[in-house]
Amino acid sequence: MKKDKTIFEKRVSRRSMLKLMGTGAAAAAGLTASGVLAKGSKNFLTRPNIIYILGDNHNADTMGCAGHPFIKTPGMDRLAREGVMFNKTFNTTSLCSPSRASILTGAYAHNHGVKNNHTPWTGEMKTFLEHLSGGGYATAFIGKWHMPGHGLPKMPFLDLFVSYTYREGQGSYFNCPMIVNGKEVPSRKPYITGEITDYAIEFMEKEVKKPRGEKKPFCIYLAHRPGHPPFQSPKEIKGMYDKEDTAQVLPKHADPAWYGKTKGNVFQGVMMGSYHNQYRKYCETITAMDRDIVRILDRVDELGLKENTMVIYMGDNGMQWGTHDCHGIREPYEESARLPLIVRAPWLTGKGGVTRDQISANIDIAPTLLDIARVPVPKSVDGKSLVPVLKSSKKELRDACLFEFWRYYPENTPTYTGVRTQRYKYIEFERGRKPWLFDLKQDPQEMHNIFNTPGGQKEIPRLRAVMKKLMAS
Amino acid sequence: MKHETFARRLFFPALPVLVCACISWAGYFGSRHVETPGLASLMALVFGTTYFISIAFGPLYVYTIAYLRGASRMMRIVASGLVPFLWMTKEVITLTHAHPLIESLYWYVSPLHLWLIMLMGLEMGGATLIARKILKNRGEGERVISAAPLVTMALSLTMVIGAYGWGKGENFYVIFLEGYRFFFGSGL
Repeated sequence: MKKDKTIFEKRVSRRSMLKLMGTGAAAAAGLTASGVLAKGSKNFLTRPNIIYILGDNHNADTMGCAGHPFIKTPGMDRLAREGVMFNKTFNTTSLCSPSRASILTGAYAHNHGVKNNHTPWTGEMKTFLEHLSGGGYATAFIGKWHMPGHGLPKMPFLDLFVSYTYREGQGSYFNCPMIVNGKEVPSRKPYITGEITDYAIEFMEKEVKKPRGEKKPFCIYLAHRPGHPPFQSPKEIKGMYDKEDTAQVLPKHADPAWYGKTKGNVFQGVMMGSYHNQYRKYCETITAMDRDIVRILDRVDELGLKENTMVIYMGDNGMQWGTHDCHGIREPYEESARLPLIVRAPWLTGKGGVTRDQISANIDIAPTLLDIARVPVPKSVDGKSLVPVLKSSKKELRDACLFEFWRYYPENTPTYTGVRTQRYKYIEFERGRKPWLFDLKQDPQEMHNIFNTPGGQKEIPRLRAVMKKLMAS
Repeated sequence: MKHETFARRLFFPALPVLVCACISWAGYFGSRHVETPGLASLMALVFGTTYFISIAFGPLYVYTIAYLRGASRMMRIVASGLVPFLWMTKEVITLTHAHPLIESLYWYVSPLHLWLIMLMGLEMGGATLIARKILKNRGEGERVISAAPLVTMALSLTMVIGAYGWGKGENFYVIFLEGYRFFFGSGL
């Protein structure tokens, strides 16, 4: 298959490319600081910008481009049309803080140590933003941090750090007080997606306007709140799905009037309303976020950055809406473990509009970004770069992905470890439940646990061996 | 006012509410196994409503009946708290599927449970007034209005609305989690 030249290959000669690669590695090795490589040198300009956008609790099927029957997500749809959509991206630990730590470090939770939403972030393992900063990138962290610890971490390497600590770092949808570079400031826009998107656009504009000698490629980590309860959207979006038929999406037994989780309680309904209405409101928040994704994409176009900016949209968790009588993000079913992931990088993906079925994971983000920035990937990273897969649908990535979860009070999911291959999902629980084994080829809805069947028992030793190997990594 | 036996004063008022809660629980969760969508929805709606009413508003009935049967204040409180306490205990037991017993016990003071207890205060105050009114109508004369039930109702109502109004309960929940971390750390 003929491979198109990337814009970088077109622009630079072989000699200058070698020089460029050497420069990137040197920068990452810390030579920038020692003055060997002057910041703002021409070579910095030839590396792509990165905009990484993170949603919250976003079920991978709840996007127009994923075939959802009514949700409006023109921004995500455009990204999918112009980029690559991954169909099998998984959360290695289905919970907010561990997943965010895995995204930022590229490591499994058993290595980065943030095992549940009560386990503090120690900062011992560097984030990809720190590596990129050391590699000559202008870096911005904007939005939800949401990892336990005492307030926000110290990240002096960032050029911009905008976040919040309000309500355990969950923030609020409206008028959320922000902390900008360590100082608390009032919100400038009522709705939070507009607020943090403004900061991202301003950062982008500031970097673009810098004189040539000072200009660096930039990386923006933009983490949104939508998808997280309590679902609130701005008035121009609120109610837009009121007339939509949610029965075509939700399981037939989803409560008509009570929120009551099947394995929870009916009291939830008092405060939250019906399950169908909750789902509509959930979709509204995602549309609200998407509106600001559109704004980012438009501004990237206007600034002439489209061809050399990688834009990624991803969710930190999936979300289970009543399937298997479960609600939430923690159970290792596909709906909660699978993440939306769309990558647009024209020089890698060509015209786009394609999908990938390789097993990818949240831990792959850090190595992918370091790879395209030509910054060395540290040994602490467990994930793999998606760049080869972005270039070609035929490239192998991995045979299996590790699932690990540590009990998180007060949620009622026991600690578990498991493995997900192209065909099987095998999960061992610490207490309270028998192991799960699903043949996803025969049973994609995960309705029949074949653990106790002869066929299932035959597969167990191999799957256990894969799991142990991944756990030891 | 005639005085009934201990059992009739304490348990009998709570029994109908307990039976209603049990049937409603079975009907509500059982509706998920009903294949006919319309019937399943109807069952969930009806039994979900009666389940909620029996737990959240059962104390109003129980306290009134216990009062009329001559139960002491402590007995009335115990009787009307019986079904909510059983429901809370069921929730605590459910948590033990994933968490150690000691941590599961902490769930007794979850925001939802505290909210229910605050609501019970409101109902007990109201039930006192209702029972007194009934007794007065029967000619067993007592004054209906007094400061204690009114103050109880006012305080409870303020707390019920305040607990929910303060960030839709989310802030309360954050405090609850901080308490958990104080006692148990990350739990791991």
